[in-house]
Amino acid sequence: MSEYDYDELGLVAGLEIHQQLDTATKLFCQCPTELREPEESTRSFTRYLHPTRSELGEIDQAALEESKVDREFEYLAYDTTCLVEEDDEPPHELDAEALETALEIAQLMEMKPVDQAHVMRKIVVDGSNTTGFQRSTLIATEGEIETSEGAVGIEDMLLEEESAQRVEETDDGVRYSLDRLGIPLVEIGTSPDISTPEQALEAAERIGMLLRSTGKVKRGLGTIRQDVNVSIEEGARVEIKGVQSLDDIDDIVRNEVGRQAELVDIAAELTEREASVGEVQDVTSVFEDTDSGVIAGALNSGGSVMAVPLYGFDGIVGREIAPDRRLGTELSDHAKRHGAGGIFHTDELPAYGVTEDEVDDLRDAVGAGPEDAVAIVAADTDVAEAAIDAAAERAGTALEGVPEETRDANDDGTTRYLRPLPGAARMYPETDVPPVEPDPSEVPEPELLTEKVERYQEEYDLGEGLAEQVAYGEYMPLFEDVVADGVDPTLAASTLESTLTELRRDDVPVENLEREHLEGVFAMAESGDLPNEGVPDLLTALAEDPDRTAEEAADEAGLGGADEEEVRDAIAEVVERNEEQVEEEGMQAFSGLMGECMGALRGKADGDLVSELLREEIQKRA
Amino acid sequence: MNPGDRVRVDRADRTYEGVLLPSSTDDHLVVKLEGGYNVGVDRAEAEIETLEEDVYEIDGTDATGPEDDDASDEGADSEIEFDDDLPTISLLSTGGTIASTVDYRTGAVTAQFDAEDVLRAVPDLAGRANYRGRVVANILSENMEPPLWQDLARAVYEEIEAGADGVVVMHGTDTMQYSASALSFMLETPVPIVFTGSQRSADRPSSDNVMNAVSAVEAAKSDCAEVMVCMHGSESDDVCALHRGTRVRKNHTSRRDAFETVGAEPLGEIDYDTEEIEFRRDYQQRGEADLELREDLADDVELLKFTPGMDPAFLDVVEGSEGLILEGTGLGHVHTDLIPRIEELVEDGTTVVMTSQCLEGRVCDRVYDTGRDLLEAGVIEAGDTLPGTAKVKLMWALENSDDVEEAMGTSLAGEIQERSVPWE
Repeated sequence: MSEYDYDELGLVAGLEIHQQLDTATKLFCQCPTELREPEESTRSFTRYLHPTRSELGEIDQAALEESKVDREFEYLAYDTTCLVEEDDEPPHELDAEALETALEIAQLMEMKPVDQAHVMRKIVVDGSNTTGFQRSTLIATEGEIETSEGAVGIEDMLLEEESAQRVEETDDGVRYSLDRLGIPLVEIGTSPDISTPEQALEAAERIGMLLRSTGKVKRGLGTIRQDVNVSIEEGARVEIKGVQSLDDIDDIVRNEVGRQAELVDIAAELTEREASVGEVQDVTSVFEDTDSGVIAGALNSGGSVMAVPLYGFDGIVGREIAPDRRLGTELSDHAKRHGAGGIFHTDELPAYGVTEDEVDDLRDAVGAGPEDAVAIVAADTDVAEAAIDAAAERAGTALEGVPEETRDANDDGTTRYLRPLPGAARMYPETDVPPVEPDPSEVPEPELLTEKVERYQEEYDLGEGLAEQVAYGEYMPLFEDVVADGVDPTLAASTLESTLTELRRDDVPVENLEREHLEGVFAMAESGDLPNEGVPDLLTALAEDPDRTAEEAADEAGLGGADEEEVRDAIAEVVERNEEQVEEEGMQAFSGLMGECMGALRGKADGDLVSELLREEIQKRA
Repeated sequence: MNPGDRVRVDRADRTYEGVLLPSSTDDHLVVKLEGGYNVGVDRAEAEIETLEEDVYEIDGTDATGPEDDDASDEGADSEIEFDDDLPTISLLSTGGTIASTVDYRTGAVTAQFDAEDVLRAVPDLAGRANYRGRVVANILSENMEPPLWQDLARAVYEEIEAGADGVVVMHGTDTMQYSASALSFMLETPVPIVFTGSQRSADRPSSDNVMNAVSAVEAAKSDCAEVMVCMHGSESDDVCALHRGTRVRKNHTSRRDAFETVGAEPLGEIDYDTEEIEFRRDYQQRGEADLELREDLADDVELLKFTPGMDPAFLDVVEGSEGLILEGTGLGHVHTDLIPRIEELVEDGTTVVMTSQCLEGRVCDRVYDTGRDLLEAGVIEAGDTLPGTAKVKLMWALENSDDVEEAMGTSLAGEIQERSVPWE
């Protein structure tokens, strides 16, 4: 797809970043912020949710609508969750560590903290919160971050509780897991100041860097989520949810601009053609003897084929509006929301077992000429009817241009229709939690990751690449702690950033290594109980049996602790075995024998000591 | 500048725009911003400009946005049609969490709904019965007092006399067990009288009020003509338990299933899904008893919990009272040194009754010397009557019984269990 002139198109984009905080306890109780597997659940219970009236007297229509379906929610509880997550105990006070971290982040983005923070209830009746609302607090407003294309405003930062994790659909509703519910989360919203895809990526990267500079944010899949709002001047505001990978943000923006620009062009062309959407019709009889598996399958189970003529749409339904996505794909997305598998349309037919004769009959049946298109849905009759209506409605919107909507990010940088844009958030005050008055003067200013990279190079003599890996990596806080305890920075950095990666490549289960294991290994290295050469072997031993301490594992594996006498004996044995070579080559034999000695002493002795003693031994014999 | 106005607040280097809300402190203004968030702004630092007056009416109970007036009025005036095929259930409201909304002055939850509001708030009640609504009080249940028990008993009496096939009393949970006990002694009833409430306020989607209210109405339609408490039977929204009014106790501060029958399994259970009611034990059948109200209560009966180190002067406080319930340790004991003083009280005309702070089990003062000395001093044993129930019962018995000692040792409304079989 060609590059667009974003300035001319009037691109306006904003970001909403949700980042979990790595606090010791949850936002409103003393439970750990630990994720669990559903199989580890120790209790479960079921609940229903009911709509309520807000403090300003409004009954929420959306909440009312959602609650009409009597859905039963099942919740899995653990030995790491308590009555607060179960909505059977009032929330405790707002977690101080989470508030302090939020204020640190606010400071890094030059935001202004509120005088008094009020915890609010944001109504969510899909069951993802046992209370029926998400607790959310406005902490700071009016900040700014720098990008190479200019400043991007930060509108607000919220401190919220994470929702419960959806496990699966059940016969009566949905099953949720309570482990994630209540983990603190900051939501950072930028102003719509972003004007190019590259700037969107840069702003997201900048915010991510600032967040990680605190050393108090969670890492790994699902711990950060990015939403992107995009519009172009002739298009409409589209919210794209759930961008998992930061690297995709520029592609997402680029593809969305493309999609909106194509839809604007399509609208113009349809208007010129005086296109229109016709009446939905039942065309089951056209396909009575069809060879199309999809259609025959639907008809054999008593379903119908419904069609809508799209006058003046010929060639347009099949037009690509994003990589591998056509206007027809948009129609299909809407049909899928109503339970259909998708749509077929004449721009792609004959295909999928539908014959040319059937296409002609279909056109005849709905009165469509060569300049028109027809979309069909085959499914159970009620599903087919609802789905074709939804597709027809979306086709009608194509005459006007770009619809405002919420879209879901696909893995390939494209997006798909999710739902209409949400209305204004439904908020009530959380009366169970007293307001707090943040004191920004007590919040330390964290060192930025960019500053850390420089300091690691200057102070610790790390190369730029390694310094960056450490600073931006998940072990940064551990690295700082062990180096402060006297561990050699180069050893710590290379162990954390390359040794672990190499071990992982060799299928060592390094995910079993906890902070205590790594600290134990570094402590042994620092005190001289473990030669640097023994570090990979000890880490492997610990990863394979993580119930032991570093000392226990070293003892059992016979790592470290070899005294000079032992080393000397081992070397003497190697030299003796290679007596002839030593006599012939003298010191020339050193490098070959060094390898053999290290092999014999694997992990037990420091390389410098082995080298020194080997030299002595060779000299003796030569 | 008043609550409900749209305002702009300038404070040092930032600006907030939104609707001014009633604030909970003198130090902070609370503004509801466009996105729905509330924010507190230091009053001393703030410059306020009113942009538009009375965007919202916030004072009092009718907190309604201007555009919602119609909808609200329609609800208030709605006449509910009478269906001859359905039983008539009286809904009596005394306030409490089940009928509560937000109080801006304290920021906490307070009772502001009448029985019709409850109907509106719990649409699931529709179609189950013809309802008569009545507000007996509008208080938090910690503010409940014995004269209100009498008002409530009279109201229930009148409702049944007027033809109610069952009565549901919406009550705050803190003292529900006392009110349920009081009505158990004061009323002979031919129809069910069911207390219910909620542990999670009605202003949250997860409130237990809907299920409790629906189940209470079903219980009120049942054949069990007793005073009962109907509340969640588990943490799930699956069953409500039916407890006898004299044996029930709130045993948890916050859980939905806080209410338990002490010393036995609950009298019955209602399945929320199938709406089937099952009873574990015999109960008084509908129509078995004739309606009768005996509402007199002695008003000077105290309940005193004995603990090690208790100042004996506490016994002086009740001097001259008609009755004293002791919540003793174990089988029903207090410090030996207190016994002579207790004897003086008895001689002075105070009825002293022993219960146990163990809650589970029966008082027995014949096992140890202390107990025998207490009996000698004139203390009456209340069997396995719960201490709170014993207080209410003694208040009632002092006015309505010829032989108080015998009454306190006899089960009048299921408060004493003849057989100790807690597993049944």
